[in-house]
Amino acid sequence: MTGRRIGWGQRLAPYLFLLPNLLIFGVFTIYPALNSVNISFYESSNGRTFRPVGLDNYRRILSDEQFWSAAANTLVFVLAYVLISVLVALGVAVLLNRRLRGRGFFRATFFLPMVLSPVVVGLVWGWLLQGRGGLINTVLGGLGLPTPGWLVDPALAMVAAVGVGVWIHLGFYALILLAGLQAIDPHLHEAAALDGAGPWQRFRLITVPLLRPTTLVVLVLATIAGFQSFDFLYSLTGGGPLGATTLLVQYIYQRGFESPISYGLASAGSVLLFVVILLVTLVQFGLARRREAV
Amino acid sequence: MSPPRWTGIGGRPMPPAGKVLAYTGLVALALLVLAPVLWTVLSSFKSSTELSLRPPRLLPESFRPDNYVDALGRFNFAVYLRNSVLVTVAATVLTLVVNTMAAYALAKYNFRGRTTLFLIILGTIMVPLQVIFIPVYQVVADLGLVNSLWGLIIPAAATPTGVFLLRQYMLTIPDELIEAARIDGAGEPRIFLRVVLPLCKPALAVVAIFSVVWRWNDFLWPLVVAQDEHTYTLQVALARFAAEEVVPFNLILAMSVVTMAPVVVVFLFMQRQIVQGIAQTGFK
Repeated sequence: MTGRRIGWGQRLAPYLFLLPNLLIFGVFTIYPALNSVNISFYESSNGRTFRPVGLDNYRRILSDEQFWSAAANTLVFVLAYVLISVLVALGVAVLLNRRLRGRGFFRATFFLPMVLSPVVVGLVWGWLLQGRGGLINTVLGGLGLPTPGWLVDPALAMVAAVGVGVWIHLGFYALILLAGLQAIDPHLHEAAALDGAGPWQRFRLITVPLLRPTTLVVLVLATIAGFQSFDFLYSLTGGGPLGATTLLVQYIYQRGFESPISYGLASAGSVLLFVVILLVTLVQFGLARRREAV
Repeated sequence: MSPPRWTGIGGRPMPPAGKVLAYTGLVALALLVLAPVLWTVLSSFKSSTELSLRPPRLLPESFRPDNYVDALGRFNFAVYLRNSVLVTVAATVLTLVVNTMAAYALAKYNFRGRTTLFLIILGTIMVPLQVIFIPVYQVVADLGLVNSLWGLIIPAAATPTGVFLLRQYMLTIPDELIEAARIDGAGEPRIFLRVVLPLCKPALAVVAIFSVVWRWNDFLWPLVVAQDEHTYTLQVALARFAAEEVVPFNLILAMSVVTMAPVVVVFLFMQRQIVQGIAQTGFK
């Protein structure tokens, strides 16, 4: 080949372009990520003096009732949040994929909560869900329906938490699914219709399989978002009542920043949470791949 | 059971019954989304006595900005607002600069370790800040950035998502264009600034919007770093005051509206780009 000789400038350029990003990324993401594994083998309550304790943090956290309660809450929350979000988003996406008046308006409206401050959203929903005098119960009472203490009853507080989570992210997932729907060739549907397939059959046999890659992306994004839920819960329930809506992230925050502070326990919790997120994501990808092979 | 007709996909018009069902569903959902927001805005103009009326009334007695004036005058509301604006603007600029440069290197140069680096950056999308904020906090503390706005601005500036979106977009820029500029004698920085950046405007817009929304709404990290009142952002101030109940709720509502308003305005103006950006970029 008679290609031009690559000059020094051109050879150095990529590294120089990468430098600022890698500096910030390395110092504030890569190094801390590795270090959190390290800290999980030490104990410290002030962040200054660290005492090596081996696997003691893991032993302590695994015998901590609050950790297991937070783990159980996280499981319930993530399952309910992911299932409801994806199903409703799919419904919304299918509706929005039709020729409708005001499609743009609906699309924008459903997406709106996504840009709102999660702190404000939690605060406002907490106010709307107040047992006595809250807007929701005022409306329910007006219709002659029961007016429960949404944020006082532990089970209902979890319902409220899931509901608000779905409310925030629904439009985002619907939008991604809508993009996937619009990539499906309409001729496939027309051909199937000519062959006598009804709408439900076409949905099941054409839309669902072709939408599977997009659905997987939404499933993974929703799962990670579910595990990370913190901001709106912090201002909606504060993890209460009686820890009923304390998820693992909040548990880690409490161990790390509320007394009695234990950086070791918090880091061990972080490592465990990351392992769980990683495993769940890998399982989702694995299941999707196996389905595809069939 | 006869299947609902509107589940079908395709361009043909729906039968009237399906159309009615579809609109009913969409309108009900839209109300569910909009009602809490509108109710909050309306209520932010109510006095505390009006707020405690049972049953509540839809419209406030008068649309006077009393709550907003009070909220501005009390505490350091103006300081929190300024902090939020400073952090959001500075962090977004920094994010755009470092991410665009990195994305360019990853998209348009062949160099050792390129694939590995890209995979590492991608992989960390899965590491939520929540999981590593204790060691990050340590680094920030060691650098003396606790209770400083820099501690809020710098750590999250190199976002893997931003690098990813920008790189995907830059891959679509033809290499010949860059080669041609080189033959014309343009240096590497000049090619980046004059040739590549102008072509990346749509992707830059998407990353900028996301960055503004994320940074403005950011909560956990500011909660950890901004321990002193003079570094509170709006989000932190609001959450702390609401939890401690030191501020009457009519003021909290006014602060909430101010906290939501900027991103809603950005969203209303840029809605099309946001929606298209999500539809077009790496999410598919």
